[in-house]
Amino acid sequence: MARVAREMVERSGINVDELVELLVKNASAELTTYYYYTILRVNLIGLKGEGLKEIAEAARIEDRNHFEALVPRIYELGGALPASMNDFHDISACPPAPLPEDPTNIEAMLKVFVNAERCAVRGYTQICNMTAGKDHRTYDLALAILNEEIEHESWFSEFLGEGPSGHFLRRGENSPFVSKFLK
Amino acid sequence: MIKLTIEALSQYNGDHNTPLYIAYKGKIYDVSSSFLWKGGKHQVLHKAGQDLTEELEHAPHGADLLKRVPCIGQLVE
Ligand code: HEM
Repeated sequence: MARVAREMVERSGINVDELVELLVKNASAELTTYYYYTILRVNLIGLKGEGLKEIAEAARIEDRNHFEALVPRIYELGGALPASMNDFHDISACPPAPLPEDPTNIEAMLKVFVNAERCAVRGYTQICNMTAGKDHRTYDLALAILNEEIEHESWFSEFLGEGPSGHFLRRGENSPFVSKFLK
Repeated sequence: MIKLTIEALSQYNGDHNTPLYIAYKGKIYDVSSSFLWKGGKHQVLHKAGQDLTEELEHAPHGADLLKRVPCIGQLVE
């Protein structure tokens, strides 16, 4: 634990235990989403499926990066990940993102992706709201993740015909916002 | 449709092996089968068995998400 770092957050008025619990739940959402997206991605086949594979893969890798970036902050603040992977799965801040019954139904696949991204956008907005102007490091991290989650939501929502978002596929490295936390 | 006072609603918080109910703007919703309300808590900050009308004002979503859970009753005086 980073004792003074935690003390600074406590002194800002934030309930650090609640914040840490939220960070753990969101770390779970990232790692479980990484897992579920792996299954979704391998099933993105055929003419329509292949067209989605690249964004699905970028979102999958970036979600794993989010997990990696959240873990040090959890421990700095005196938290810990649950010892049991089962428990970790079940406390996720977002519901599972299961493979649709018919994986060739591309619209059903896209809805699973977009719902998962929307849940994440709400979750990090909440963490940003709680930490803004108080816990600068958690805010910086949550904002970086939020930036990437919003791009993921945009990619999938465009395919659902919800209108343009102005975004394009990743060019070059993954995690343009979060990479500074991974070095 | 069931009718509950705020006191009766407080029993449905997950502590007594009962279903999990929440209230919003006079209506009661059953969140027992929601993954996001497991154990009677939602996103760390919110507890079942309560009227959450005020709390939803500060949430990162609106009342439209209540459509995902069954409305089962009414809050009464
Ligand atoms: C800080 C406060 C809150 C946070 C951070 C929060 C966050 C979330 C998130 C991330 C979701 C998933 C959304 C999605 O799939 O796009 C959700 C769903 C939901 N929330 Fe909240 N929420 C908060 C407060 C509330 C309150 C006060 C209520 C009740 C009045 C509520 C009722 C619900 C319901 C019913 C769902 C849908 C559950 C389901 O799909 O099974 N939330 N919330």
